[in-house]
Amino acid sequence: MRILALDAATSACSVALVEDGRVLAHRLKVMERGQAEALMPMLADALDETGLAVADFDRIAATVGPGAFTGIRIGLAAARGLCLASGKPFFGLTTTRAVAGGVFADERPGMTLVTVVEAKRAELFGQLFSPDLEPLGEIFAAAPQDFVAHLPNTPLMLVGDGSIRLKDVLRGPNVSWSRAPGHPDAVQVALGVAERADQGHAPLPPRPLYLRAPDVTLPK
Amino acid sequence: MRVLGIETSCDETAAAIVDEARTILAERVLSQEALHIPYGGIVPEVAARAHLDHLDGLIARTLDDAQVNLADLDAIAVTGGPGLIGGVFVGVMTAKALALAAGKPFLAINHLEGHALTVRLTDGIDFPYLLLLASGGHCQLLVVEGVGRYRRLGTTIDDAAGEAFDKAAKLLGLGYPGGPAIERCAQAGDPQRFPLPRPMLGRPGCDFSFSGLKTAVRQTAQGLGSLTDRDRADLAASFQQAVADVVADRAGHALDQFGRQGPLVVAGGVAANATLRARLKALAESRGVAFLAPPLRLCTDNAAMIAWAGLERLRLGWTDGLDFAPRPRWPLDPAAPKAVGAGVKA
Repeated sequence: MRILALDAATSACSVALVEDGRVLAHRLKVMERGQAEALMPMLADALDETGLAVADFDRIAATVGPGAFTGIRIGLAAARGLCLASGKPFFGLTTTRAVAGGVFADERPGMTLVTVVEAKRAELFGQLFSPDLEPLGEIFAAAPQDFVAHLPNTPLMLVGDGSIRLKDVLRGPNVSWSRAPGHPDAVQVALGVAERADQGHAPLPPRPLYLRAPDVTLPK
Repeated sequence: MRVLGIETSCDETAAAIVDEARTILAERVLSQEALHIPYGGIVPEVAARAHLDHLDGLIARTLDDAQVNLADLDAIAVTGGPGLIGGVFVGVMTAKALALAAGKPFLAINHLEGHALTVRLTDGIDFPYLLLLASGGHCQLLVVEGVGRYRRLGTTIDDAAGEAFDKAAKLLGLGYPGGPAIERCAQAGDPQRFPLPRPMLGRPGCDFSFSGLKTAVRQTAQGLGSLTDRDRADLAASFQQAVADVVADRAGHALDQFGRQGPLVVAGGVAANATLRARLKALAESRGVAFLAPPLRLCTDNAAMIAWAGLERLRLGWTDGLDFAPRPRWPLDPAAPKAVGAGVKA
């Protein structure tokens, strides 16, 4: 089973080519903007390294959000184009699940994983996961001072590019900060969609998870 | 030689396939008009979301219509700007993915070049020709000397022509989009009733200005108080007449410079206006040059023009890299001097 995975939804841009859990090629750049320029050359480069073509993969995977609206669309438009050209099925993963997958194995035992995705707004996106990456509830949006109300009274492992904004409101012996990078990584996207499929979950469709309506008001 | 074109820079999601024999093998346009009508204008984020929802399916149906596979194509062309950048991103990323996966050249097309070269797809004419490009975002007079070679003679120093129609329609309560609404309403109107200004008329050069005309429409409407249907029709007709007078005057100046080297061509959504077309046709005839206007569906935004511009560039060996960055602003003639008094759009 070969998976071609992409992410451009938040503060990075990455591509991973994965076969049965083994990484064949991987490219990742941390960037706030510029994903539209960077993503496809990174994919072309990774494909060159393996000698494989898009048609040699069984699944096309990408993050569906939440994140930056434009970033989500960059990854999904590319993935949908690859699916159209190759006829291969799409498998989506949330950015929160991809970020949770990055938490190191030795950081997980006994912890509730708290993923925090930067939304470039007053509010952050959050979702809780068990140590074995089962979601504990839905994705929520909350300002830093209100984020605490969503958290259980258990040992917490924080991760994600938005977690830095909780440093002032979350303290104490129950709170730890993961060594993992805060952005999604396409490797975790590939591994995550495979795990979810193995667990019998239906694949997420290539539809953006914006979780927020466009900023527009109807005229009076 | 066959090229797929993709257009997502405004409120139409479009795909088309053209070949070297100037045949449009298939074309599909999905208008988002109904999505934007409640807001009284195009909302960029709403547009970008809709483009992503529909583009891949639209391309698949276009390929089916033409009964070709991606493998049968010679290149993938897409609008790379100028336009609403959120939508451009969707088209560009889709096109890059198709090009990479199918192993085809990728071409990022200037949307304005698409409009500028449409007449070579429809009528097969040679260079050079004089082009009036008038749309919701632009109003320019250009000498088209070759593919990628455009010499701007004049441009608007404030609003685009289509923008003036949209704003006037809004002031008259005629809704969006304004071009067809004004034209419909003006049919029963008296273009002589309201003496609206003709900005730039008789001034040297080929630049345009429409914001004063919009202000005059507002002041006239306010002066009338509550508008009757007759008032609306007369004001719409008077406005349309003023725009036609100005455009014909500026195009006349451009013909003074261009002479009889080639035809006068009109392109862009505003070229759909029958009054304007008639005036430009009369102007061209009075100067002894041909007048050409593509069919209406190829004047408004479409993907056949993008596919054709892609084909013209591909023939010259001009392709683009997968690292192309979408361009929200992309002048056809970067060397043109900034129009005097111009705002950011010129």
